[in-house]
Amino acid sequence: MKRGKIMTETISESVKEKHKRLIKLENFIRQCISCGDCREATDYSSDPPKWGICVSREHTAGLEPFFGRGKMQIARSIIDGKLELSKDLAEVIYQCPTCNGCSILCAYDMDNAAVYEALRAELVEAGFGLEAHEAMNQALVELLNPYKRDNKEKNKWLERLDFEIKNAGTEKADVLYFVGCTAALTPELQSVAINTARILKKLGVDFSVLGESEICCGSVALRTGNEKAFDSVLQKNLEVFQKTGVKTIITSCAGCFRTLKRDYGEKLKQLGINVLHSIQLIKQIIAEKNIPLKTLGFTVTYHDPCHAGRNSGTDPIYEEPRELLAKIAELKEMRSMKDHAKCCGAGGGVKKAFPELALEIAQSRVKEAEETGAQFLVSICPFCNRNLSDAIQSLGSTIRMADLMELLDQAIDFFIFFQEF
Amino acid sequence: MSKVQEAYREIEHVVGPKYISDKDFVKAAYSRNVDPAFPDRWADMIIRPETTEEVSEIAKIANKYKIIIVPRGGGADLVGGSVTQGGILLDLTRMNKILEVNETDFYCEVECGITWGALVSVLQQKKLHTGVLGPGSGYSATIGGGLSNSTAGFGSTKYGLVPDICLGVEVVLPNPQGTILRTGVAANKYARPFCRYGVAPDFTGLFMGDVGTMGIKTKAFLKLFPLPEFMMRHDYMVLNRDYNKVTEIVHLLQKEVGDGIHDIFIVPFDVVNLQKMMAKNKPDARTKIKGPVIGVGIEAHDQRILEIYHEKVEKIMKTHDTRPFEWQEIDMDEPLSKDFELKLSFAYNYFNRYISLQPPLISCTTCHKIPISFLAQAAEANDQFYQKHMKEFPPRGMSIFAAVIYVLPNGHCVVVGGFNAPNEEQYRKISMDMWHKKIRHQVRYGGAHYWLGESISQSIVEANAYTPEFAQFFKDMKKTVDPNFILSPNKFHLYSYDDDISKHLVEDE
Repeated sequence: MKRGKIMTETISESVKEKHKRLIKLENFIRQCISCGDCREATDYSSDPPKWGICVSREHTAGLEPFFGRGKMQIARSIIDGKLELSKDLAEVIYQCPTCNGCSILCAYDMDNAAVYEALRAELVEAGFGLEAHEAMNQALVELLNPYKRDNKEKNKWLERLDFEIKNAGTEKADVLYFVGCTAALTPELQSVAINTARILKKLGVDFSVLGESEICCGSVALRTGNEKAFDSVLQKNLEVFQKTGVKTIITSCAGCFRTLKRDYGEKLKQLGINVLHSIQLIKQIIAEKNIPLKTLGFTVTYHDPCHAGRNSGTDPIYEEPRELLAKIAELKEMRSMKDHAKCCGAGGGVKKAFPELALEIAQSRVKEAEETGAQFLVSICPFCNRNLSDAIQSLGSTIRMADLMELLDQAIDFFIFFQEF
Repeated sequence: MSKVQEAYREIEHVVGPKYISDKDFVKAAYSRNVDPAFPDRWADMIIRPETTEEVSEIAKIANKYKIIIVPRGGGADLVGGSVTQGGILLDLTRMNKILEVNETDFYCEVECGITWGALVSVLQQKKLHTGVLGPGSGYSATIGGGLSNSTAGFGSTKYGLVPDICLGVEVVLPNPQGTILRTGVAANKYARPFCRYGVAPDFTGLFMGDVGTMGIKTKAFLKLFPLPEFMMRHDYMVLNRDYNKVTEIVHLLQKEVGDGIHDIFIVPFDVVNLQKMMAKNKPDARTKIKGPVIGVGIEAHDQRILEIYHEKVEKIMKTHDTRPFEWQEIDMDEPLSKDFELKLSFAYNYFNRYISLQPPLISCTTCHKIPISFLAQAAEANDQFYQKHMKEFPPRGMSIFAAVIYVLPNGHCVVVGGFNAPNEEQYRKISMDMWHKKIRHQVRYGGAHYWLGESISQSIVEANAYTPEFAQFFKDMKKTVDPNFILSPNKFHLYSYDDDISKHLVEDE
């Protein structure tokens, strides 16, 4: 959809300076005509329709600031000098996982989440950031991970392996496996890293890891509006990546994937580095080498992480996981999927600042998964995994959460066994 | 403590603190509808009630403190209807339940805050539909909004306007008692809401097209129809630009095909050319546009009957200077007629197709009804108006007689038109002035506007359309239901019962 000309001459210089991030996105802000198609974020263009996916609206009071149209009008009021930033505004703006379901439903070329993140950055700059996020981002800068842990603990999952992996700091490899803080530092989720590494080894990939030298990608800082914290880790990471000399970075975390691919974007391209989700590389090798996969006999349903899908920019990852799952299990789709998938509720700093809201949203997603009758709820993001696992536990659900790497590791094991036999 | 603060405290007790707000950013979020001319308007408080009883309590408190209430459904209003400067803005979208779908007796009972999209989606899975598939403002609009604006939509050629499918409503009157009233056969407290007429005078009509001035609609009882199994849509290009020819064809279609027709809509010559120009996927061969395109949708419950309807349509078209037309002739992304099926997507994303082609330009809409026999004269009158006032339009304010002309039952049609205006502060007044002027012009040639809101209802008054007797009757009726004048002021230039609306008359321009 073409945009008309925006006339910005009425915006005062002081507002332009004060709200430079929003002004940069003025095209998006002003092209919102307030039609409200984003309210339920329901796509009626398919039969049957894809149901409402705005989890923020669904699980809060549902007043207009909780969904796309209201937020866009707030942004417009700010750049028009009619509304001041405030702590109260921050409390609501941060109750959104920035899943960008609203922009998918918009008939115009819109990136709502970019506006929300700009608004958050201005809230932080004005001193209205949330305390929970400030502490997290401080840890990010000081400890290089948002979990307030000693970064040396990122070595722990490596100790659980029965083989050696190249250290990217000292050894050259074709591929750098960027594990991500959640998988590396959460004991229950270290299996994501372990399974990924095992699969890469089985497939003969020449790869390395950074271990305790791995610095958070900064996704949490960017989503919560702390640009300084993000810039800090961005610069450090670019230096680290450049030193390794790698040409491909893979990650098994959707958040890291989106951040490295989109937000580091051009900077990595200038270094000649390509970013892939691990599932993309693994699927490619399985196809190239024509590797058979064992059928596991499970029924599974797949949760699309927002950052691997609609938030990942070009080439969203929808088909790769499904194609692999269809080979090893019986795939049963949920009502909302792919670009219309409901968010798990963890992103955008929601789990940190509003854990009850994040849990409620995840519970709703788990119930949707249960409707399929699947035994496993599978995803490709440790952070989604964590929130959905919490929901499964709180609901006492019998569905089992699994990372796709866990299932693939089992399916490929059979292949190795078969070959050896 | 101000009266607004006192009212807030009492209402907070009714709905709970989560569902009421007087924060500035909430007011800003609710400050607009889909139009470029009105200024931002901030309510004193926004409330999101869940039940009719809560709405009734809010009405009592608003009366006690003499605070105005403006109901808001989907907020997709194009004419300033569901925002307010000061007072209470009542967001009714939390009242969104389907209470009954009676598949045997073909009616349903719903809360008025449910969207058309949500309702028709559920009905479609039961092989049912509401006839007219909601207003032109799309599936985000609510049932209550459609009734309050007497709107037309897809299916209206056969099934009429939204109020035509309404069997009754439950409303909360804006009086000190917060009276809850059920109309239609539901006025009989022993009866189910299965039909509209009987039991009492048709008080349902009092609340249809009232733009929220007579009561707050909380529930609606709607007719249902079995989803026709067989549908077909074909388009025909008229081989000249004569609207009299269009009138002749439409008259014959309604006379000879009758009930078989689901929809007839006419896309004017200029609009077809515009679509040809804007198509992303243009075909290699160039089609010459010679006149407007008439789209004819037909439906039947039997394939054989559908074929007969189709034969009749073809016969009329062949003998009346038209040729079959495919939208793929100008845009390869459009489906072919042979692939047509009535999907919900048919009425989806209306705004980007017709209302705001190039945001932030938005249309100041001037949708109005005219007899089909008046089509050519209306088009001519609008052209003359544009020529005369061309320089008074806002910049980039392209004005068209009609984006589409939609045929209604009984020989009349909706002219869906307007002019573009920038959604920016410095152009709001010039847009608003021209908007009123254009509406007054249309009212004076006998156009019947239905989507009234503030801008259009006021323009009708300015054009001196209402006789003094009618204006007094209207005022008396409103006073009966709204003695303290708290519900939706400003519409129809009504600001109090002491006001004389004749002071707003504008001389013929």
